Parts: sequence; C-alpha cells; structure tokens
Amino acid sequence: MHRRSLILVSLLLALAVPLSASQFKEMSFDEVATESQYIVRGHVVDTWSAWDDSHEVIFTYATLRVSRYFGEVAGPDTLVVREVGGTVDGYTQEAIGFPAIRRGENVVLFLSQWEDSADYRIHAFNQGKYLVRQRQGFDVLVADPVKQGDERLEREHHRFEAEGVSALTIDEFAAMVDAARAGRPTAGIRQMRD
Amino acid sequence: MKKQTFFSVLISTIIIVASAEPALAYVLLSPRRRWATTPITVRTYTVGNSTITDGSGGVNATVSAIRAWGIINSSTTSSPAVRGSAPATIMLNTNGGICTSGCLAATLTGYYISQSGDDRIYDADVYTNTAHQYYSSGESGCSGEYDINGIMVHEVGHVIGIGHSNVAGATMYPSVSACNAGNRTIEADDRAARDNLY
Repeated sequence: MHRRSLILVSLLLALAVPLSASQFKEMSFDEVATESQYIVRGHVVDTWSAWDDSHEVIFTYATLRVSRYFGEVAGPDTLVVREVGGTVDGYTQEAIGFPAIRRGENVVLFLSQWEDSADYRIHAFNQGKYLVRQRQGFDVLVADPVKQGDERLEREHHRFEAEGVSALTIDEFAAMVDAARAGRPTAGIRQMRD
Repeated sequence: MKKQTFFSVLISTIIIVASAEPALAYVLLSPRRRWATTPITVRTYTVGNSTITDGSGGVNATVSAIRAWGIINSSTTSSPAVRGSAPATIMLNTNGGICTSGCLAATLTGYYISQSGDDRIYDADVYTNTAHQYYSSGESGCSGEYDINGIMVHEVGHVIGIGHSNVAGATMYPSVSACNAGNRTIEADDRAARDNLY
C-alpha cells in the first residue's frame, strides 16, 4: 500500500498542472478535489461564445456530455461549462493563462458553479482541467498545455504521444479523488507552478 | 590528447559556459499582438485594496511599480475599468467577476485579428482577487501576503503582450509565493520580450 501511494504521489507530481495565468496561488490536489462540486469525465460536444448582458465580457460556453462522475457526488448527463474569454464578431477577449475549452475535447474537469448562474466553471483554473489521451491502449490524463494567450498550435496536443509526458491513468486519478474527498490526504502534494 | 591540451580545452569550456548569457525563453502572447503606440497608457483605479495598509491601498505603489517596463505612461484614474475599451486599467479593489478562488490577479485582453498578422491590442484590464492578502513597497514586513508591486509588474507584462517565461527569476515567470518581492524589477528575459514587441 505504501509503495502504491508513493507511485501515485510520484505520478501526480509529474503530472502536476503548471499554474499559469495571470497569477495564481498554489493549491494542492486535495484542495482542488475537495472544493469542487463535480469532478467529471466528458466530451465537449459543442462550444459557442457570447457577450455578457452588460457587453463587457465574452464568455465561451461548452456543452459537456458527461460519461463519469468521480467521487461520491453524481449529477446530470449534460452540463454547461462557461469560461471567460472567446471571440465574437472578430473581437477576441482572453484572460491570460485561464483554461481554454474546445469543441471535441475529451476531458476530466473539476467543476464549481458560478455564483450568478446555474452554469459551471473549471475550478482552480488550469489545475482543474486534464485532457484524456490514449497511450498503449489505456486512457490517461495529461495536463492541457494550451491556455488562453498561449500558442494555438495543435502540435502541443500531439506532443503528449510523441514525447511520452507523464500521465495518470483514470483509475489512479479516481483513487486520488476518493482519498482526497474522504479526507485522507494524498501526501500533502503541492502542485508545481509553471 | 596531451594532458596540457586537455586542461586548456577544459578551462576554455568552463570559461565559455560560465560567461554565456542565460538562455532567453520569453513567450509572447499568441497570436502576437501589441499596442499601436508607446508609451502605453495604464491607469490604476484610485480605489485601492483594503488589505494593503500603505495609505493608498496599494494604488501609489502600483502606479510607480509598473513603470519598471520603461514604456508605460502610468497614473491614477477615478474611472473604473471599461472592458473592451482603452485605456488599460488596473483594478485593485475587485476581482471583476473572473479572478476568484486561487487566482491572485488576472489580465483580460481584447484584440482583433488582422489580415496583415500585425495584431493590435485594443484593451487590457487587470483585476485583483480581494479574497487574498497583499502588501506593497509602502509597508514594512510581510506575513503570508502577496507583493502587489511584483504582481502588477507581472500583469502589465501581459497587458503589453507578453506571455509566461520559462526562465526562473524572470518577472514573467508565472510562479509567485507569499512575501516574494522579486518581481518588482524586470530581468533580461523580460526586456528581450518587451524589445521584441516595441
């Protein structure tokens, strides 16, 4: 058990999502996992962008078809995730370093609800988003390297397979979530910052 | 190889490596974009941050700090940020509805994609998460607070079109820890990014 924990800790450290942004405070995996309302695996089936009512902020909305809820909480089959930033009529707004959400992505997301609506947002910014990739026949989770304001080249996505960056299997991730939400610290891991 | 030659090569290599400039690894926002003219006007809203006890809520410290970039026309304003409209405005008293939870400060930029590839920034506003504690250069001591001077120098780097650098020690390196005032000055990597754009 101790050895397995060490392996999981090592994997999570290697996988740690680089914090970027504007500037963020460090959050541990446990904090992110326990603070999130939902932790889901899903497929982004659609996205669209629109100004808010006051025409000050462009938001991108994503319809997420949920295939799995992690932890003890479950919810609806479909969720609407809303993130700051997007393009409307040729004008683009970006919150530098915030997560971007793109149609067709297979993702695992930590979600919390916006205070002013029923929509959800990615909790803890890019720490709350993983891409699901296939490696040697297994689904694995990798950090999304392309955030708002970053290079928009798809090559970044292919780099995962090409260079074999560290990844976590779905089962290992689920175990980490269960431990964190049950109050069993996952070794007090501190997420690295980029 | 003779022993004397070997040591000559070794010493030369050590000298070359030791005197080499550190690798520059700045990253510009993508697509590449910049303001049309310099100096770039950045205003700091006169309502400061309630956690900063320097007498102005960090406003005066911020106005001074962001001049570190050398291309900023910095002053205060009594008008809050209007998103989608210049000038760039720093808000120390609100998260703008976007910078919550673990976010310390966030920069929201707006631009049009041009056909020529020379994109212009039309607006950029900075918001501060008031749920965290900050201190400024106008205060003495620090206890678990975040340096508003350094944070705003970093954010204004985004305002002018710079992304995050991989060079540890650069102001545009995205990590920051409490009581770290190291971002109050810009470093070689940051200057290279600025000079690339302007």
